Amino acid sequence: MGMLWTTSFRHLLRHPVQLLLALLGLALGVATIVAVDVATGSAARAFELSLAAVQGPATHELDGGPAGIDETWYVDLVRTLHVVRANPVVEGYVTTGEEALQLLGVDPLAAAAFAADGGAGSAGGALQGPATLLDSRGALAQWLSGAGWVVLTRDTAAQLGLRPGASFAIDAGGHALQGQLLGVLGDSSGALAAVMLADVSTAQQWLGLQGRLTRIDLRVPAGPAAAAELEQVRRGLPPGVTLNVAAQRARAGLDMTQAFNTNLRALSLLALLVGLFLVYGTMSFAIVQRRRSLGVLRALGATRGQLLRVILLEAMGLALVGGVLGLAAGVLIGRTLVGMVSQTINDLYYVVAVNSVTLPPGEPLLAIGAAVAVALLAAAAPALEAVNSTPQLTLRASVLEGRARRVAAVLLGVSVLLAAGCLLIVLSTQRSVLAGFGALMLAMLSVAAATPALLYACARGLARSPLSAAPPVRLALGGIAGSLSRTGVAVAALAMAVTAMIGISIMVDSFRESLRDWLSHTLQADIYVAAPGPGFARPERRLDAAVVADLERVPGIAGFSASRRAVVDSDRGPVLLDAMDDTATMRAGVDLTAAAPAVWNRFTAGEVLLAQPLAYRLDLAIGSSLRLTTAQGLRSFRVAGVFREYGNDRGSARISRREYRRLWQDDSVSTLALDVAPGTAVGAVVGRLYGAAAGRQALQVDTPAQVRAISLAIFERTFVITRVLNWLAAGVAAVGLLSALLAWQLGRTRELALLRVVGLTRAGAAVMIEAQTVFMGVVALLAALPAGVLTAILLVRVINRRAFGWQIDLHLHPAQVGGAIALALTAAVVAGLYPAWRTARASLVQDLREE
Amino acid sequence: MLILDSVSRSFGAGVHRRSVLDRVSVSIAAATETAIIGRSGCGKSTLLNLISGIDQPDAGRVIFDGVDLGALEEPQRTVFRRRRVGFVYQFFNLLPTLNVEENVRLVLSLDGVGSAEARRRSRALLERVGLGDRLHSPVDVLSGGEQQRVALARALVHDPALLLADEPTGNLDEVTAAQLAPLLRELARERGATVLLVTHDRQLAAGADRCLTLRDGQLL
Repeated sequence: MGMLWTTSFRHLLRHPVQLLLALLGLALGVATIVAVDVATGSAARAFELSLAAVQGPATHELDGGPAGIDETWYVDLVRTLHVVRANPVVEGYVTTGEEALQLLGVDPLAAAAFAADGGAGSAGGALQGPATLLDSRGALAQWLSGAGWVVLTRDTAAQLGLRPGASFAIDAGGHALQGQLLGVLGDSSGALAAVMLADVSTAQQWLGLQGRLTRIDLRVPAGPAAAAELEQVRRGLPPGVTLNVAAQRARAGLDMTQAFNTNLRALSLLALLVGLFLVYGTMSFAIVQRRRSLGVLRALGATRGQLLRVILLEAMGLALVGGVLGLAAGVLIGRTLVGMVSQTINDLYYVVAVNSVTLPPGEPLLAIGAAVAVALLAAAAPALEAVNSTPQLTLRASVLEGRARRVAAVLLGVSVLLAAGCLLIVLSTQRSVLAGFGALMLAMLSVAAATPALLYACARGLARSPLSAAPPVRLALGGIAGSLSRTGVAVAALAMAVTAMIGISIMVDSFRESLRDWLSHTLQADIYVAAPGPGFARPERRLDAAVVADLERVPGIAGFSASRRAVVDSDRGPVLLDAMDDTATMRAGVDLTAAAPAVWNRFTAGEVLLAQPLAYRLDLAIGSSLRLTTAQGLRSFRVAGVFREYGNDRGSARISRREYRRLWQDDSVSTLALDVAPGTAVGAVVGRLYGAAAGRQALQVDTPAQVRAISLAIFERTFVITRVLNWLAAGVAAVGLLSALLAWQLGRTRELALLRVVGLTRAGAAVMIEAQTVFMGVVALLAALPAGVLTAILLVRVINRRAFGWQIDLHLHPAQVGGAIALALTAAVVAGLYPAWRTARASLVQDLREE
Repeated sequence: MLILDSVSRSFGAGVHRRSVLDRVSVSIAAATETAIIGRSGCGKSTLLNLISGIDQPDAGRVIFDGVDLGALEEPQRTVFRRRRVGFVYQFFNLLPTLNVEENVRLVLSLDGVGSAEARRRSRALLERVGLGDRLHSPVDVLSGGEQQRVALARALVHDPALLLADEPTGNLDEVTAAQLAPLLRELARERGATVLLVTHDRQLAAGADRCLTLRDGQLL
């Protein structure tokens, strides 16, 4: 075997450009997967760490819903507990400068005992932290003084430029507050990077939750005594308070981003799939190049098994190097993507600060495994074909190309079968996102399988048409058709990437247009006023009742409608609930897609409307019921209608605010929608609104145009990562095309030299090569245009529907394919540049001598 | 002894089917040299492929030293070829990724001969063919005559019982061809190899113990 290895290794080294391009393509494909895993994994890890730091060893939690839990009930509860430990928590978000921080109100003594007894280790840092700083009587007195003393991590304090004892400004729901830094905590894990610790009473005061607790964490040890005590707690729960397993909160948080992460993963797999074609192209070309040598080796007595092992191990070697390079590149790209991913998570799901990039455990194995699997899969077919054929040393290129043409014809049939499979999956499955992606992959493979036949038909057809009367044109087209074994795979890979690009471009544009339409329909008021702050549905983001009353009386206001946004518990997990004043403006802003008869009467009577994503996720239709935990216990709400909503991918439920106030005993207002009187300038009213709240609460005042701009900005940010991944996949395809065409053109050195001998000029040879590569780019585009539209339909009607429940209208316009045209043509032009330049400069004598 | 018993081989299918060898029968004595002449495309190379086990006849048997190649499985035929057959081709078919000495040693290496022994035997034979000073040269810098001498050394380094030479001088000039032919005969005779020589060169054929003509699928 030693000599066989030598021939294999030296063959690779004799074609360094080909080797490098194959490695680059494979590495890029692997890097994309790793980058997505690093980015989403880091965000998930940051979320888990942060949760572990603030929850400590809690096994259960008592949740009071939007109104929180009465703290006097906590005092009574603690008196009854002997085995189970309890820890009161007040939680919300504040901003300091530009930084959003999670404000955590803790009782230092209860928290430290809660964490220490549980052997929390690194978890529960937020709970143990204050106690370590409050070891002196003076520090404890300061902490409890209600003078706004807080604790930050050393890094966060440094980032904010604060030293212990320093005073600084804090904004909580538009209220300007003054904080003082009592001390700093070390936090090597970064879990507390975005956390500000304060005394419970301070947090209550700042968040407007006087006398209320956000939740109570419980630590229930093993054993019958603790279980009995927990049961006793459960039986004594006041209405509106629910007992949940602590891990559910982490799971619910991570579940929120599941569909988002699945979409990113699918996109990264697309890059790897394109990479598979690239490796296939490289390996099959490497085998074609060595066909004569392989024949000699077989004639000399090398067995099929020996040659197969050499070829497959060669592919594996390529995969190992490509995998390691891809892993390293993936971590680097992941560092960039993590910012985009965490930004999207902050925009759409929950507030998370990702301070460290972590490589998920097992990722190196996954990366290398994916590279090896792709390389072996790609190499298996050409390797088997090569070693199983009779070792005829006189095998001519025409025989090989004849076989390639037959394979292309068979692949056309395979393409039809793949398309049928795609259709079958779409029609036979209803909700599975994975099946949707499976259908998408089949569609992509169907395009790839049909491309070689299309390339052959186009090249042959055009070569025979009167348009190609000139011999050089006929020669160029004949060259493409006659080298299908090499050109077919490259064009197929490019077609697949261009298809994905067109599909994603149409999907994003359609989504944007649908969002615009929806915003125009929804934003019926002239001005929207809310309390500023990070995150949405946060209880502290409420307008003061007195401020609301004054805002409604501002001159120029013709009507108003208040709403409250809260997250409430249901028997199906947390649900985002929008309680809306039942006004004509509100009704006009709801784009109902399905409704029970007399829907608004039902709404007024207490039935709910569900956003499409929520109705889809919970599989609820008109007439079915949703059970929500109110301040008076679990209540059933009949679904009266389903409406279009693109605000978030989890969807929300809408209820009349009158009903909400009655059932949840929460009079707070999150947003005020104001109608300006006819003839009154909106700008003037906005000024008066600021004036009315001045000195009491900062306001976030937006006109519909501003809300639209903010929404579209978030939308664009959300899809930046999609575009980045898409371009990465396109990059892999471009490298694949470059690699294959470069190898093809370089393999034609002698043929081109002969053409020059018979009279083709240097410039003519260069133009011919460029024309050939551009022609292939155009064919890839031809295949990709209809396939791209079909892919967009799949993305819009199947994937988005199944992943998020959104119903998006398809919008088509020519500009959507601009990027795809640019990709296909640029890749094609670039692929031809070096061979064209080389041919124009080459020595005829030398090229003719080369065999 | 090499026996071809009613060997037939055709290519293509349907109306495009073309018979290349039609019930060819011949016996060739061991350690003799037989030349086969015929026009281009008459099936000479096909015949060599069948005798070496690279290809299989549609009908008939190929028997060498009592072994019916048709009765062997593909891996056994590969081992047969590796140990008992040597090839010399018109276009040399040297491996461009190996140097002169490696090209010759390859055959021994494939058969599991130890590295030192393989190296010794390869070098010895390359000395005999006059290339002792070109052991580490890449093969693509050699002249045609030198390349064919490397191919000859590769064909004989494992002392095969059967040497198949397909137009061995067809790509060489007259002088070089005249130098190669006696070398081939001398080395084959030393090893007691049966030589089957396919050639257009009547002068080369004239030097063989026996001369056969392949015409219209028949060996005459």
